[in-house]
Amino acid sequence: MDAKNEYLLLFRGKEWYSSLTPEEIQKTMDQIKGWFERLTESGKLKAAQPLKREGAIVSGKTGRIVADGPFAESKEVIGGYVLVEVDSLDEAIAIAKSCPTLRFGMEVEVRPVAEECPTMAQARQILAEALLATAAA
Amino acid sequence: MNTQTKNGYMLLFVGMDWHKGLSPEEMQKVSEQWMAWFKRLTEQGKAVAGQPLERDGKTVSGKNGRVVADGPFAESKEAIGGYFLLDVATMDEAVAIARECPGLAYGAKVEVRAVRAECPLASEAEAQLTEATA
Repeated sequence: MDAKNEYLLLFRGKEWYSSLTPEEIQKTMDQIKGWFERLTESGKLKAAQPLKREGAIVSGKTGRIVADGPFAESKEVIGGYVLVEVDSLDEAIAIAKSCPTLRFGMEVEVRPVAEECPTMAQARQILAEALLATAAA
Repeated sequence: MNTQTKNGYMLLFVGMDWHKGLSPEEMQKVSEQWMAWFKRLTEQGKAVAGQPLERDGKTVSGKNGRVVADGPFAESKEAIGGYFLLDVATMDEAVAIARECPGLAYGAKVEVRAVRAECPLASEAEAQLTEATA
């Protein structure tokens, strides 16, 4: 697995179908099915799963706070994810742009998968720079 | 499509600023603890996937995705920094695992979500459609 070429698409938004007629819903569902089929056939789809709306948010030291969340009405709620393997962020964005539910208000967050935790990379860089500075002094 | 785990749960690590105020040594220590945690879970068969995300990214919205905005991810308390996919049987188990996250002590949060079995985006619509035509 080459994390350099993987991008995570996070789908955020309220239920896209809530104000549509049954015919419009069926039509859009067919478009979604087509969208997934094309992605699968292209070999770019690595994984995809929908998430149930309810869940929990764990926080605080030792995760002592467990709250219901996210709130179902929030427009930021992640409804599902798609993991793609493509050559560039632009390609991943193009895939996101072709998502059939965008026109109903859904948003797609496109994030490059990292080779390693950015914080780890950042720490290592700071330490390396400090070492260089010491050596130069 | 792979990773169609019936009893799947997703841990979304929320907050990409938990490292603020930590020394680089501390940052490394917590990151190493995080990776060791994932390794343990994988060896136990409880984690089937997990990836960190880069600090940058874009948000696509509007008709035909005509709006492409930079995400304010690096400084955000709400930005997703990574995820694990768990293969455990209950939400309680998933939450118990989430509570082990090394970033919690520094302000990170963990969102625990159950994975559905069917196809993304369409599953809820399907349910509504079934209700409407029933």
